[in-house]
Amino acid sequence: MDKVLGFLPFMLEGSVVTIEIFVLTLVLSLPLGLPVALGSNSRFKPLSFLCKLYVFVFRGTPLLLQMWFFYFLFPMAFDWKLQAMSVVVVTYVLNYAAYFAEIYRGGINSIDRGQYEAAHALGLSKRQTMIDIILPQTMKAILPPIVNEAIVLVKDTALASSLAVIELMKATNSAVNRLTDLTPFFYAAIIYLIMTFVLTLVAGKLEKFFSRYDAKEEW
Amino acid sequence: MNRETVLEMKNIVKDYGDFRAVNGVNFSMKKGEIVAIIGPSGSGKSTLLRCINGLIGVTSGEIILTGDTGMVFQHFNLFPHMTCLENITYAPVKVKKENKEVVKERAMQLLKMVGLEDKADVYPAQISGGQKQRIAIARALAMEPELMLFDEPTSALDPEITGEVLNVMKKLAESHTTMIVVTHEMGFAKEVADRVIFMDNGVIVEEGEPKEVFENPKSERLIAFLSSMLRA
Ligand SMILES: Nc1ncnc2c1ncn2[C@@H]1O[C@H](COP(=O)(O)OP(=O)(O)OP(=O)(O)O)[C@@H](O)[C@H]1O
Ligand SMILES: [Mg+2]
Repeated sequence: MDKVLGFLPFMLEGSVVTIEIFVLTLVLSLPLGLPVALGSNSRFKPLSFLCKLYVFVFRGTPLLLQMWFFYFLFPMAFDWKLQAMSVVVVTYVLNYAAYFAEIYRGGINSIDRGQYEAAHALGLSKRQTMIDIILPQTMKAILPPIVNEAIVLVKDTALASSLAVIELMKATNSAVNRLTDLTPFFYAAIIYLIMTFVLTLVAGKLEKFFSRYDAKEEW
Repeated sequence: MNRETVLEMKNIVKDYGDFRAVNGVNFSMKKGEIVAIIGPSGSGKSTLLRCINGLIGVTSGEIILTGDTGMVFQHFNLFPHMTCLENITYAPVKVKKENKEVVKERAMQLLKMVGLEDKADVYPAQISGGQKQRIAIARALAMEPELMLFDEPTSALDPEITGEVLNVMKKLAESHTTMIVVTHEMGFAKEVADRVIFMDNGVIVEEGEPKEVFENPKSERLIAFLSSMLRA
C-alpha cells in the first residue's frame, strides 16, 4: 500500500499533463470551430466546401490515426522535430474544432429567420447581427453538446500516452508495471472522475447563466 | 419628386424564381400620410414592404426613399436575450452611435408612450404578445425612422388584445407618423388611414380614401374580398 502511495506524486504529475492537454485543446479549438461553422454556412461555395471537407475528414477518422499521421508528417514534410506534446495538442485542436464547428452550425441554423430580419430592419451589419444577436441566442442550445465533447476530451487525453507523453494514463501504466499491483488503475479512475465531475458542475452553472432570460414563461 | 414625398415606387416587380409576387406597383407617399394595405393572402403585401425596407431586392423598378424605415413584424421578432429596454436601445447606440444616456432617456419615453415603463428590465419571454408588439413598435421608433412599416402587427394576437396594439398605432397616427400598415383590421383601416390600397395578385387593384374604398368598391375582386372579410 505504501509503495503504491509512493507512486501517487508521479501520477499527479501525469494528471497535470492531462489537464494541460485538456485546457490547451479547449481554449484553442472552441474559438477555431466558429470560423469553420460560419465558413460551412457561407454562400461562397469553395469556402463552404473546404470547411465541410475539413469537418468530414476530422470527424470521420480516428483521433489516434490523425495523431500518428501528424507525428510522422511534421518531421518528414517540414523537417520540424516537434515535441510529442505539441503534436498531441495540434491534433486534438484540429479534431475537436471539427466537432465544435458542427455544434455551432446546428445552433446558428436553429435561430428563427425573423431575428435576422429584425436585425436587418434596424440597420445592423452582418457582423453585429452574428455577434450580438445570433450567437448569444445559440449559447443555451449548444452548451450541453459542448459539455459532452469536453467530457469525451477528458478521456481522449489518454490516447496521448501512445506518443510517449507522460500524462495520467501513461503514468498509471508504468506504476502498474513496476508495482505489479492494479491499485493505480483505481486511483487513476478516481482522478478522471473528479475531472469530469468538476466539468459537470461548471456546466450546470453556465447553463443556469444562459437560460436567465427565458426564466418562467408567464403566458 | 415633391419635397414632401418620402417614398416613391416606380413599376416595382418582384419575382421569386419564376413566380411573380409583385407585378408592377406604382405608388408614392407624402410625409405624415397613413396608408393601409389590404388584400387576400398571397397578394404580395409583405413582399412589397420587404422591398421597401431592403430586406429583399426588387427584380425591376425603382424605389426612392428620403429617409430610414422602421419595421414591425407579425411575429414581433424581439431579441429574446435582451431586456425590453435593451431591445430598444441596442440599435440607436450600436448602429447610429448615439449617446447611451440620451438613447436610454428616449427609450424610457417610448416605453411610457406604449404604456410599458414597468417592463423595461423584463425579458420578452415574460410578457404577453400584445406587450411584445408594443415593445417592438418602441424599438422601431427609437431609430427615429422617417417611415414606419407594419406587417400585420395584430395578426398573431388574440382578438381581445389587438386593441392595445391598435391604440398605440392610433397614437402614432395622431402625432402624424408616416406609416404603411398591412392589416386585416378593416375597422382600423377605415378609422385611421388617409388612403387604403387594395392589392391582389401582385398589383394594386384599387386605391382611395377609406370611405370610397369601403363604401363604394368598384372592382369585383374588392367587393368579393370585403364580403369575405365581413364573414370572417
Ligand atoms: N421567399 C419566398 N420564396 C418564394 N415564394 C414566396 C416567398 N415569399 C413569398 N412568396 C410567395 O409570394 C406570394 C406573395 O407573398 P406575400 O407574403 O407577399 O403575400 P401577403 O400578401 O403578405 O400574404 P399574407 O396575407 O398571407 O401575409 C405568395 O404566393 C407567396 O407564396
Ligand atoms: Mg404577409
